[in-house]
Order: sequence, then structure tokens, then C-alpha cells
Amino acid sequence: MARRLRKIIVRRVLWGGVLAVLIAAIAAVAVYYFYVDRSVTQQFQGRRWTLPAQVFAAPLELYVGAPLSMNDLLEELSRLQYRAGAKADRPGSFRRQDDRIDIALRATRFADEARAAQMLSIVAGARSIEALRDAAGHDMPVLRLDPLLIGSIFPTHGEDRIVVTPAEVPALLPAALKAVEDRKFDTHHGVDPLAVVRALWIDLRSHQIAQGGSTLTQQLVKSYFLDSRQTMGRKLREALMAMALEAHFTKADLMNAYINEIYLGQDGDRAVHGFGLASQFYFGKPLGEIDLAQLSLLVALVRGPSYYDPRHHPERALARRNLVLKLMVDLSVISAQDAASATASPLGVTTRAAGAYYPSYLDFVRRTLRRDYQETDLTQEGLKIYTSLEPRAQDQAEQTLDRELTRLERSRRATNASLDGAIVITAPASGDVIAIVGGRRIGYSGFNRALDAARPMGSLVKPFVYLTALETHRYNVASIVQDAPLDIRMPNGAHWRPVNFTRQTYGPVPLVRALAESMNLATVALGMDVGVTHVAQTLQRFGLERAPAQVPALLLGAVNATPLEVAQLYSGLASGGYRTPLRAVRAVISAAGQPLKAFPLELNPIAQPDVVFEVEQMMQQVMERGTGRPGRSVLPADLVVLGKSGSTSDLRDSWFAGFSGSHLAVVWVGYDDNRPTGFTGAAAALAIWAHVLAGLATTSWSAAMPDSLTDVALDYMSGLQLEGNCADANTIHMAVPVSTQLAKKAGCMGAPAPRATERLGERLRAIIHP
Amino acid sequence: MILRIAVLVILLLLTACRSLGSAQRPPGAPTGSAAAESPAGAAPSAVPPAPTRQFRLGSAASALVTQAHARAAAGDYPAAMATLERALRIEPENPLAWIELGRVQLAAGNPAQADSMGHKALALASGDPNAQSAAWRLIGDSLRARGRNPEASTADARADALTPR
Repeated sequence: MARRLRKIIVRRVLWGGVLAVLIAAIAAVAVYYFYVDRSVTQQFQGRRWTLPAQVFAAPLELYVGAPLSMNDLLEELSRLQYRAGAKADRPGSFRRQDDRIDIALRATRFADEARAAQMLSIVAGARSIEALRDAAGHDMPVLRLDPLLIGSIFPTHGEDRIVVTPAEVPALLPAALKAVEDRKFDTHHGVDPLAVVRALWIDLRSHQIAQGGSTLTQQLVKSYFLDSRQTMGRKLREALMAMALEAHFTKADLMNAYINEIYLGQDGDRAVHGFGLASQFYFGKPLGEIDLAQLSLLVALVRGPSYYDPRHHPERALARRNLVLKLMVDLSVISAQDAASATASPLGVTTRAAGAYYPSYLDFVRRTLRRDYQETDLTQEGLKIYTSLEPRAQDQAEQTLDRELTRLERSRRATNASLDGAIVITAPASGDVIAIVGGRRIGYSGFNRALDAARPMGSLVKPFVYLTALETHRYNVASIVQDAPLDIRMPNGAHWRPVNFTRQTYGPVPLVRALAESMNLATVALGMDVGVTHVAQTLQRFGLERAPAQVPALLLGAVNATPLEVAQLYSGLASGGYRTPLRAVRAVISAAGQPLKAFPLELNPIAQPDVVFEVEQMMQQVMERGTGRPGRSVLPADLVVLGKSGSTSDLRDSWFAGFSGSHLAVVWVGYDDNRPTGFTGAAAALAIWAHVLAGLATTSWSAAMPDSLTDVALDYMSGLQLEGNCADANTIHMAVPVSTQLAKKAGCMGAPAPRATERLGERLRAIIHP
Repeated sequence: MILRIAVLVILLLLTACRSLGSAQRPPGAPTGSAAAESPAGAAPSAVPPAPTRQFRLGSAASALVTQAHARAAAGDYPAAMATLERALRIEPENPLAWIELGRVQLAAGNPAQADSMGHKALALASGDPNAQSAAWRLIGDSLRARGRNPEASTADARADALTPR
């Protein structure tokens, strides 16, 4: 009896204890749940992904006469990831038939307006666009293609994403995610107990916590709220948080959050989050346009973006993608037929790992914006930044630099490929910077030589010496300077004895020849006469930011400048005496589409147009008769271009800067450790420069001669004026101020008369000897 | 031949005017033509030079100018400028495009920029009296906007001489 009683009491106490512990545990979990519920709900309610600013290239302008061939158009459409097909029906597709191309344009947003999706027909000739029509067949005067997304400015912790709305998500994506990751998503309350038990069982057997079993909601919680450590306590917290989210938000809400949150790839420091960016990152197109195979690949990546990285492990990615397709057939999400054709298709990822990313250019964009924006504005506010980058010119310049440097190294049998360089291309009329190449490693964001390699300008400084001389009105292009040995005594008592590159002297030479052949002695003599101070002032007027040391060696380019700074200086010459600040950024707009900041074109007068015109004509002779002549063979014969070479002592730097009517390019070649290259400006940089210019659809330099100048025929060697029929191979036509008295070449006077008799004689001869 | 001599005489006169007026402008500042600073007294030549060319905007630039006008009329000057910059990228050497941009700059309250663009247009307009005249009018208006009335009148006179009203 007592025994039975004791048994009952023991049992009751035992049960009571168990019950008490259980109640206490439930209460604790409930209290914890209540706490989690509040914090999670609050955080998630006010959720806002930090949106890195998106950066866009300049949109391609289409109009009748635009210098674009069919191939150029196809190349641009492929860059924008438009699909070729039998018909252009869905936005992002096109159809080509002979010289005609029908394009279903995507809806897009420019700096100044948004444009709805629309149809466009183009007839392209061999060199230019011949017709541009809308869907109804009406001629259109002008239209822009979509601006290419070239990158984003993401914070240092690296999270980058493009947020998509449910309307932008293909209906198949949620279905595929459910099929592969969480079949009971529509019915569970945040956790799937059966899946947890299954996962736990596998975990216990393998003594590690690796198996999934998380619902989509749990995965969302894990990515959004928690770090990636996997502990039991964290698992409980994750489950409670998932339940809390489920209690407060709709399934559709959670699915959209998942699609925007989840981690899907890595690009250096940059973490690719969300399906919107992943679609751009892997396929270069909006999420709404990817096909079944591509969609399945993205879904496959959820399990392990680095393990299944399609660019590094294509065979793993392919197997997993096909498994995703099979699962979708098993659950009747797609037909077996669709799956079969998708399974047969290749991965379809874009080749360039960084997509269309141009790190050197983005670097300049970032630096420009830092003046006006906080880092957090750029990395979090979803700004849209519209730039002047022309992807065609940029791609071409990148390839040219690497190809030509490789060629140069082979010609010298250089053992290590460390010769490097930089290119800046601008449109001088608008100040647009259209391409920046910071080094030969394409797509590599390292040392940006275009912006940071400040090297001595060498002979690139000479046009500014000559400009300063012409501004005194004591000189014109035919004025004689002495190219003779110089001994300049410096304030510290030292002597400076400059020499010509050829180690020769040329005696009395006209300004035009001294500049064309880059004579050091003549230039120093000229510069000393007009004053080093004035030359320094000219350089600053043209945009050199640091005041150069006012020493005679400045006249031969003892002043450091980066390729970008040289581009600014030369753009003052190219635009006829106006300083137009170089700009990469045209406009910034907010996430909501409000214009925030514009960088309008600016013109600031810095030199007399007639003086600049005279310097430009001398720079034309650099190309025709001087140090730039070797570059002519690369360029079309009828293309008028102007330029100047530059090399520094021991040939450590090889420069060339110059322009056509519509483009300006600066090229620097050298070693990062400042070793001598063995190349003059004319030997290395010129070839690259000429190839860059030849590859652009550029126009001849053709400035109108100012009314204050008049055209004269001169002897290039002596600077003497020619009259009548004295022209020979050395005759050049140059502009001088209208009232200038020039020395005339002897024996050339009254030439028209003999010419008439000569012609008469010819006619007589023709009569006598038919 | 007579025409050539006439042009030469005019040019020589203009050069003379330049040396008279050169003290009025800081060194280094460009003038679209040598006659830019002719003092009000020295009336510009009454004989307009013979046109050697006539600038027109192509259909693309024209359409953009029309769009820019609408935007400027609505008071959205930044958008109007952005549109005109598109026109300029298509025809960077057309003085008419620069004059349009200068007009919007003037309306937006940037007479110094308008003045620069007027001079830039003038340099490009060589040989086209109509375009030169339009450039001078822009320069005149931008001078007036800065209270430089005597210089503005000179610019207007130059415009009138090129295309009599």
C-alpha cells in the first residue's frame, strides 16, 4: 500500500517536474518568440535594401546619317544583350533582314526622361544609318538605344544588388524556387518540421550540420538577419524568426524579399545579391528576359554560388542546372518537352567575368562624385549615374593598348611583360571623357595610370611654349629661331646645356619646323625669349592644376602630368581656345527619377582663337612632316589629325597626344618603376595613338580660319614665303596674321608670268608634236 | 577681283580696330573675330561680306532643338541644356547648335557662358553672315544681361551689318 502510494507520488512528482520544466520551457520560448517577433517585424517592416548607385554608359544616338554600319548596330545590340530571333516581339529582341533591322526596345530610363518599350526599324548602309522608323512606319528624326549598365558603386562590405518588383519577376521563378528549395512554401508557417527532422537525422548520422531543410523563409532570415555560423541555438532563433515573419507578412511579400536578398555570386570584393543583379551579372540582361535554362541556372546557384560558379565550374553548374530542370518536371512546373530543350542548351553566361564593367572609368566616376556626395549616398541610395563612356571606344582602346604593347615587347624581345600604358579619349567639343584605360590588364581595378601616373610631360609641353610665343605677336609660324648650342646659367650657378634628341643642331629654322621636328634647342631659345613664367602661366590657364616649377627645363617638359591632365591641356587647343572641363558624369538622378545634379557643358575662354589656330596648323605639320609622320601610315590618308609626341630623359616615358575634328586621345607608355623603355614618343605611344584614332568613327580636323589670319605658302625648311609657281615638295600652307610682312624666297617673284609663257610653250609643243 | 579687294580692305580696317580696342579685354580672352572690341564710335562696315556657306541643322539636331525649346519654355533649363548637348554631340561644328545652347544659358541666368558660346559660334560661323549675325546678337544680349550696354550696342551693330533688319 505504502509502496503503491510512494510509487504514485514519485510518478506525480516526476510528471509534475517534467510538466513544470516543459511549461517553463514553453514560456521561455514564448517570451523569446515575443521578443524576436517584435524586433524582426519592426526591422522587416521598415526594410530597405542598401542600393548601390548604378552607373550607365552614354546611350548610342541613332539618326539618319549616324556613322554606324549594320555590324556596329549588331555589336551594340549584343552588348545590350538583345536577342536575335525570327521576329522582334518581346522587348529585348530584334530581327535582322539584310540591311534592315527591327528592334523591340526595352523600356528604359535616361538622365532626362523615361521611355516606354517601343518598336524601331533601322535601315543601315555600309557606313551609316539610312532610315529610322517607328512601329507605324513613320520616319523618326533621332532616338537613343538603352544606356548600358556599366557598374555600380557598392559599399566596402561589398553587397551589390538590383532590386526587382514582383512585376519584373518571371512567374516561373517563384515556382522554380518552391520546387527546388521549399515545396511546402505555400502552406507552412515558416518551418517545415518534417524537413527539419529529415535534416537532423542526416546531420546526426554524418556528425555535421550541413544539410538543408530550411524553408525559403528561413533562408531569407539567415541572409537578412543572421551571420552564417551554424549552431543549434542559431537554428532555433532562425526558426522562431521565420515563424514570426510568416505571422505578419504575406507569402508574396516574403517571396519577393527572398528574390531580392539572396546571395548568388562573387566578383572580387563585390557580392552579387538578388536575382535582378544575378541576371545582369551572368547574362547581361534584365531578369524579365532570361529563358528557362538561364532561370534554372540562377535557381541552381542558390545552393552554392561559388561551388556551382558557372564561369569557374561549368560542369558542376550544368549538372545542377539540369537537376533543377528535372525537379521542375517532376512537380509538373514545366513540361518535359521544355525541359528537354533547356537541358540541351549551353549555360549561356557572358564571357567577361565582370560583365561590362570598366574599372578605370568607374574609378574616375567615383572620384568625380566624391566631391559632391557622401560615400553612403553613393552606396545606399539607389542613385542612377549617367556617364559619357562610349563602350565601343573603350573596348577598342583596351584591346589596342594590350595588342600594341605586346607587339612592342616582342620587337625588343623583352623578357617580362611589364611594359604598361594608359589611354584617355575625349570629345573635345563637349568635354566628354569617352574612354579611360588605366593599364593593359583589362577589367582589372589596380593602379589607374590614366589618373594617377603623373609623369614628366616631355615634349608634349612644346605647343604651349609656341602658343605663348605667338601670343606676344612678336612671332608667327614662319619666324626664325636659332637651333644652336645653349648654355644657360641657373640661379644656383649650375649650367644647363640642353641637346637635341638627334644630338645635332639645325641652325636657323622657322617655328613651324622647330615644333614639327620637336627641336629642343630652338624651343628653349624661343621659350627663354618669351619667358618661362609666361609659359608656366599658359599651362595653368589651360588647366594644369599645380603650379609648375619655373625653371628653364620646364620648356622641355620638366613638369609632371597624368594622361588625364594632358587630355585637359590639349582639349583647350582642340576646342579652339576654350577650356571645357573634362567630365565623365553628365547627370545624377535619384532612385525615384528626380534629377539631383547635372554637369552641364562649360566653355571658358583661355586663348585667342587665331593664335590657337596657328598652333593647330603647326601641329598638323607634326603629323605631315615631323615626329608624328610614322603614324600616318596607320590612319586613313584623307583624315586630318594633329598631334605632338613626347619622350623624357633616358626614354622613361613615351607620350603622344593629339586630336581629329571630333576626338582627342592621349597615350602614355612606360614602366611603373620608371625604368627606361627604350622607346621615344614617336616609337611606342604614336603607334597606339594612331590605331586608337583609326578605330574611332572620327572626322577630320577642319577649323575655319579666323578672319584675322590669311593663308600663305611657305617653304617648310626656311620659312620663306613663296609666290607664284614656286611650289615644291617642301611647300606648306600656313595661316599668319593678315598684316604680316614675310621674307620672300628669292627668285620666286613675278612667278605668274613665266607660268603663263610656260603654259603657252606647252600648248605650242602640243601643236608641233601632236 | 573687286570683291577680294573689298574684303581685304575690310579686314585691314578690322585689324586696325582691334589694336584700338585691345586694352578693354584682359589678355588671353578670345574674341570671335578681330572686330569684337571695336569701340562704339567706329561703326562696323556697312557692306556685308558675301556668304560662302550657309549652316543648317540636320533633322536630328533640329528635332532636338525643338524639344529643347519646349523644355526651356516650361522653365526646365537643365533638361533643355541636356537636350541641346545631344544636338551638339551630333553636330559639334555647327554654330547654330552653339547659339541655341547659349540662348538657354542666357535664359538660365548664365550670361558669361552665353557669351563664350556666342564667340565659339562666331568662330565656327566663318563665311555664313546669317549665323555670324545670330552669334553677334547672342553676344550682344549676354553683354546687356551683364550691364555692359555700350559693348552690347556694338555687338548689335555688327549683327545688323551682317544681316540688315
